[in-house]
Amino acid sequence: MSDETNTTTAPAADVQTAETPEQALRNSLKRCSPATVEAALQFRISRDPALVPVIVIGIIERYVEPDLRPKLRDNTDDVRLIEDLGIDSLTMMEVVILTEEVLQVQIQNDELRNLRTVGDIKVFIDCKLRGLPLPKPTRFIPIEQIAAVMPMQPPFLFLNEASVGSSGAQGKYQITGEEFFLQGHLKDNPVMPASMMLEALGQLAVLAILEGALPAEPGSENRAIDPKTIYFTSCDGVRCHRVCKPGDLLTLAVKPKRVHMPLATFEGSIRVGQEKAVIAEEITLTFGYAEAPAPAETSAEQSIT
Amino acid sequence: MPKVFITGLGFITSIGNDAATVTRTLRELRHGMVLYPPFQRPDSPVKVAATIKDFNTDSLDPEDWIYPDRYRPRRETLRSMGPNAFYAWCAMQQAIEDARLAEADISNDDTGLYAASGGAPGMLGHLLRRMHTQGVMRCPPLGIVASIAGTLNFNLVAHYKIKGASTGFSSACASSSHALGFACDEIERGRQKRMFVVGAEDGNMDAILPFAGMRALSLQTDPSKASRPFDSARDGFVGTGGATALILESEDEVARRGAKPYCEVAGWGQASDGHNVAISHPEGAGLASAMRRALRAAALEPSAIDYINAHATSTPIGDISEAKAIRAVFDAAGARPLVSSTKALTGHGLSLAGAMETGFCALALRDGFIPGSAHITNIDPACAGLNILQKTEDKQAAHILNNSSGFGGANVSIVLRKTT
Repeated sequence: MSDETNTTTAPAADVQTAETPEQALRNSLKRCSPATVEAALQFRISRDPALVPVIVIGIIERYVEPDLRPKLRDNTDDVRLIEDLGIDSLTMMEVVILTEEVLQVQIQNDELRNLRTVGDIKVFIDCKLRGLPLPKPTRFIPIEQIAAVMPMQPPFLFLNEASVGSSGAQGKYQITGEEFFLQGHLKDNPVMPASMMLEALGQLAVLAILEGALPAEPGSENRAIDPKTIYFTSCDGVRCHRVCKPGDLLTLAVKPKRVHMPLATFEGSIRVGQEKAVIAEEITLTFGYAEAPAPAETSAEQSIT
Repeated sequence: MPKVFITGLGFITSIGNDAATVTRTLRELRHGMVLYPPFQRPDSPVKVAATIKDFNTDSLDPEDWIYPDRYRPRRETLRSMGPNAFYAWCAMQQAIEDARLAEADISNDDTGLYAASGGAPGMLGHLLRRMHTQGVMRCPPLGIVASIAGTLNFNLVAHYKIKGASTGFSSACASSSHALGFACDEIERGRQKRMFVVGAEDGNMDAILPFAGMRALSLQTDPSKASRPFDSARDGFVGTGGATALILESEDEVARRGAKPYCEVAGWGQASDGHNVAISHPEGAGLASAMRRALRAAALEPSAIDYINAHATSTPIGDISEAKAIRAVFDAAGARPLVSSTKALTGHGLSLAGAMETGFCALALRDGFIPGSAHITNIDPACAGLNILQKTEDKQAAHILNNSSGFGGANVSIVLRKTT
């Protein structure tokens, strides 16, 4: 209590000494993984955009509470900043300030509003550094709007909500137990049929096409896709890992793999919580353009503010 | 009017980081002063501070801070805090455990929080330096929230999900006594059933050393002599930080919860000197008036007060003003209450002082002791006539009066009553 000196000595507080740019960078990143620091140092020399994902994920990880960090280990593109990582708008500003400092870029406030997932951030930074136009923001699509645009209608619509962004689409569907096919599938044991799970993924891919998730083909940038032209053609590498029953909340995701008119190929997955339920390596749909050109306001360039 | 009771206490102070340790050090008169490393620089004639032990919050990055294992703040919690808010967050946790409040008792329309701190000047300096050197848009996003004077209420209300009344008080060294007085009013008027009252200060270099310019700090290099209120050789105060959290509850809540109060808050009063921006009135006029008002609010004669926990900070002028004020109120009534200043042990906690010392008085009333005024060799003749208690005594007081005075001549007195 009455010690003559304070036993815990103070860490040097904010001493304004001249540091080299490397020391300053290491200091700014002192709570990031060594891989992040190394990537950032290399980036300063090479400005290689391929290093950006490691740096950005490393910066985000540093601001995420330790118990949530495992969510950044794999499959990071779909991880949502607010819902999954607990990053609020103020922490987002900390991420931005450190990213600006490390990558030597300027990020404007209005550019941040549409960044919902880790994937959105990676694509956004990549476009900034390469000087490419910024991608379309991820948009949340409620059930009413899904039903308004989709060719499928209840009781054959298996999406409750969805969001569509530049890296694909995500959706949710809760198995209610009231689905007509559960009456016969299976006897005294209602189980969502695998074919219906695949149908739900296909529907999400249809929505992704209609909401502009496909990269535009050169020469067709302003052409709208006609919903009546979209049909299933094939699927490949489908594996079911988990039986899904009434009450399960399915989290669906599709990502475009290849587009070559008139075919669009997606990869898809369904999870229940953290458990894998279905993986489809490829789901291919056919599509066609509408006769009239799309209204100007839906074109990719003009939707960027 | 419903009676108001103190039902929970939490302490992060230079003389202990929990109520049991604080009680022991008050009884044993062990002080919390050290030669504070950041003061050991050639340009600082001030060497001693009363530091918080087992914590180190000197870094400007809260994620560097060291603190006892029992506290587990998330980054999300720390990011908007200076040292004072963090100490307060810890003290709140203790007070809640002490009062055995359930989560529903803390977060409801009938529970509020009043707080007082001078903010985090070190953090503010860091913020401004960063703005000037790195650019306007590179200021830490929560730098303002962590550093301005309302930081305690911002942080505590958010982190403890307070839904009733909340605000901060800013009357310098009278701040947390004002917070306690007005919190008491909230309950008496039936607006709230329960109030948290929290005072806290950083107590680090940037919070203390600027007082050197006004020649208010002790230049003593011997930690055991630096703070000696009422002694003729006193030469200024010793700075300290930390936090104290008190829980006030209405008598109905005390009965409903079956809580065991430390004491009752019998009344409070305040008055201003109207004299000088930083120097206390030479006759202690405002403080005398505040004491009279507190006694009137408690419906007590001066003779009912057994002990006065004086504001006395160990400055040459301030201690004399207070001695005169006490004599003016009590001598005339033929009363001779015991007087001591616990700042001899703790140093001066600025905005924290009122809450911390009210907390000490609550411990004294519950445990039946009266803390002594340490480090006195020769009583200043100008303070003669006071019944100054130099050693802690086992004695049960019925009523205790606690004084606080701040810049601008703000004075607050609080009367506490032993619970029967």
